[in-house]
Amino acid sequence: MSSDPAPKDFGVTFRSAGGRTVRCRADQFVLEAGEDAGIPLSYGCREGACGTCKLKLLSGQVHMEHNGGIRQREIDAGYVLLCCSTPLSDLLIE
Amino acid sequence: MTEPIDIATLVAARQAGYSLPAPFYTDSDIFRHDLELIFGRHWIYVGAEPEIPDAGDFITVDVGSASVLMARDDEGRIRAFHNVCRHRGARLQQAGRGVLGNIVCPYHQWTYNLNGELIHCKHMGADFDRSGFGLRPVHVENLAGLLFICMAAEPAPGFDALRTAMEPYLQPHDIPNTKVAHQSDLIEMGNWKLTMENNRECYHCVGSHPELLVSLLEYGFGYAPSPQNTKQIQGFNELLAREHGRWEGYGLPSREIDRLEDVTGFRAVRLPIARSGESQTPDTKVASSRPLGAYTHADLGGLSFWTQPNSWHHVMSDHVVTFSVRPLAPGRTLLRTTWLVHKDAQQGVDYDLERLTSVWIATNKQDGALIERAQQGIASLAYQPGPYSPFTEGLVEKFCDWYIGRLGAGLKDKR
Repeated sequence: MSSDPAPKDFGVTFRSAGGRTVRCRADQFVLEAGEDAGIPLSYGCREGACGTCKLKLLSGQVHMEHNGGIRQREIDAGYVLLCCSTPLSDLLIE
Repeated sequence: MTEPIDIATLVAARQAGYSLPAPFYTDSDIFRHDLELIFGRHWIYVGAEPEIPDAGDFITVDVGSASVLMARDDEGRIRAFHNVCRHRGARLQQAGRGVLGNIVCPYHQWTYNLNGELIHCKHMGADFDRSGFGLRPVHVENLAGLLFICMAAEPAPGFDALRTAMEPYLQPHDIPNTKVAHQSDLIEMGNWKLTMENNRECYHCVGSHPELLVSLLEYGFGYAPSPQNTKQIQGFNELLAREHGRWEGYGLPSREIDRLEDVTGFRAVRLPIARSGESQTPDTKVASSRPLGAYTHADLGGLSFWTQPNSWHHVMSDHVVTFSVRPLAPGRTLLRTTWLVHKDAQQGVDYDLERLTSVWIATNKQDGALIERAQQGIASLAYQPGPYSPFTEGLVEKFCDWYIGRLGAGLKDKR
């Protein structure tokens, strides 16, 4: 048995994709995990500036480092930018 | 029409004191010139500051084929840009209002900050100079909470004079600390100038506006003197002098200012309201129990403020009604009406929306029908320009005179 812990991952469920759940590593952007699994997702800059990948997080928590593509009030209302968000828990996305 | 219209000839031949020849209301070439030379070169009223109260709030303003994006930036400043991507020209924001972080074109995600700088664009190569592709700015002025834009590269002269004259009238009402209680968009089936002309007279009011008449004193809007009304005119003039004295004592400038002939033309006067003297509501009592500004008197009459080419405003102790006119097509015009109340006033507690809005919703609808009727008659072959009343339609003449003068000046510049 290896003593290295496997990198932690979380389940991310996309309601828009019929409720499919994909795995997302704790160090992986949610957009990438969704793309790898073939979930149809829009994006633009992948730098957190354009807001094209903005979706509502219905439950769970993320760590997000954006570049102005989302307003604090939108964050307060539950929106996230998938391109620059890593999961801190299992997620349910609109 | 089989022959092209020579606009300069029509402008030069316009007969003062008469309504305009039909092509000014119906012709598509004149309409294009109205957009370019009137709406494209003058200060136009587009909305109230409380429509975009917080950083990131935006509205779009469409005037003919032009579209302008107005947003509040993170420093609280109001910025305006042509709503056109510098990549391949796509309309940046379709929605009439909303919130944005950066300004992003949905086509290829070219991304601009609220200073208009292009901050992100993919696949343009390492040596692409983004600095040459910022959004094209539009001039903005905030007059005590009323927002004006000028789309010309060099803004029309005279906004400073407008500000100097009008700030003392408007600032006491503290429009920046109001909120939008209601907004309505009415599409009128007539040329935009018919909307403006109709606004500049109340000759039509007694026959068409029963709701507005409850709060209106008709002698405030011109009259032909006769032996039958001598007493009423004298009574009105005494009331006006008495109320102006009282309101000015409160620090509310009230006297008429008429600068309608200026390039950035405007007029204002505070007029008494009938009966209780308070507000343009069904019973003339205030609609909102939260007064605007620092005033506790409810009976402050109504400050009316008119601007060339496209707005009018009524400011009362409890609310503001503000009107912005936007040409859509030669025979189609958008009238946007916005009702503002104190920002802390709660619907259903401090004000009833129906009481607040019903008079002007009814009046706008009646005006829309009159404007459609006017357009229909003018478009018929039998129309010929008719005379204005020297007593009640002097301000219609001033509007037409300003329009003809500014169109003529614009045509001269083009040559």
